[in-house]
Amino acid sequence: MSRINWLLMLSASVLSLALMSQQAYCNDSTEQINNDSCMKCHKRNGKMQGHHALDELNLSCSSCHGEKGNHPKKPNDLMVFSADSDLAVATQNNACLTCHIPKKLADTEWTHNVHAEKVACSACHQLHPQADRIMTLTTKQRSDECQRCHSVQR
Amino acid sequence: MENSRRDFLRRTCALVAGVSVSPFAANGTTDTETEQAIKYAIIHDETKCIGCNACAEACRETNHVPEGVSRLSIEKTGPYGEYPNQYYHFTRHSCEHCEDAPCVNVCPTGAAYIDKKTGIVSVKADKCVGCQYCLLACPYDIRFINPVTKAADKCDFCQETNLKQGKQPACVEVCPTNALVFGNLKDPNSLLVSTLKTNATQRNKQDLGTRPKLFRITAKPGEISI
Repeated sequence: MSRINWLLMLSASVLSLALMSQQAYCNDSTEQINNDSCMKCHKRNGKMQGHHALDELNLSCSSCHGEKGNHPKKPNDLMVFSADSDLAVATQNNACLTCHIPKKLADTEWTHNVHAEKVACSACHQLHPQADRIMTLTTKQRSDECQRCHSVQR
Repeated sequence: MENSRRDFLRRTCALVAGVSVSPFAANGTTDTETEQAIKYAIIHDETKCIGCNACAEACRETNHVPEGVSRLSIEKTGPYGEYPNQYYHFTRHSCEHCEDAPCVNVCPTGAAYIDKKTGIVSVKADKCVGCQYCLLACPYDIRFINPVTKAADKCDFCQETNLKQGKQPACVEVCPTNALVFGNLKDPNSLLVSTLKTNATQRNKQDLGTRPKLFRITAKPGEISI
């Protein structure tokens, strides 16, 4: 009986240890990009949880957003990727096209081709959250996504 | 006596002739009247189509089309042009509702029929034996065997669903760019007729004499490969 008790306690402690370490991993990411000096201020909105956080990619915040320069003073050369960004679509997209090749993008999704000059990547893609919503759309959601822009008054 | 006999024969002959001719006359007039009333057709404006597939999804949902088969699909060709100035062509692939429909002509059981009131080509699922003659006969290759009903199936302009409720077919209702126009060819005031009058349209395989009722406003031509 005591042996069973002992085994039970051991397994419980192992489990709790594992959980604690998991917690620690979440709180203090080991990824290099999330230990960037930018994170000192941008704790809340700066964290990279998506695929681009992979250490193998060897990315830093400045890889996409550009060098710090004057920041946080304005004006500065930092690039902001959003719908209300002042940057031209081509400038925003060139940051992505540093690594992504148009041909490959077209092979995986034909809509890349027709929007290449008109829509910023960030209009559909979100890099910071863990999952990019656009990658897991159902067929119905997908056509809804087209209709966000393509719709005429009846 | 002889006179009255001759009279009798004459009158009887006139009566028989009159009775035998009258139903033809009556039938003839009603047929032309109903045929005149409605003749449904559809226009796919390929210059407006963006290939979002909303029509295909709406069709599946409204008509309960099982996965793996479809009454309506949008075929994409391309890309044409050089990156980043590229474009695609989208073509609607669905029943063209021929006025002289080969599928109806070959059907041995009368399951495939043309609705006399509306000109819609449709299928009576309970009459279909699944011989698939119609699948082979259709020059547009749009028929399929429905895995649930085991009968031949195809677009029927939503005649059992949306049309019954007084609505437009599901694909037309949902199209975000108004690339689809549905209406009555016999109604000169309809949007369909005015669109046909003001645009150059094409129909598929017209040389077969099937007189299809799916009109295409074709997109700008693709590049020529030599």
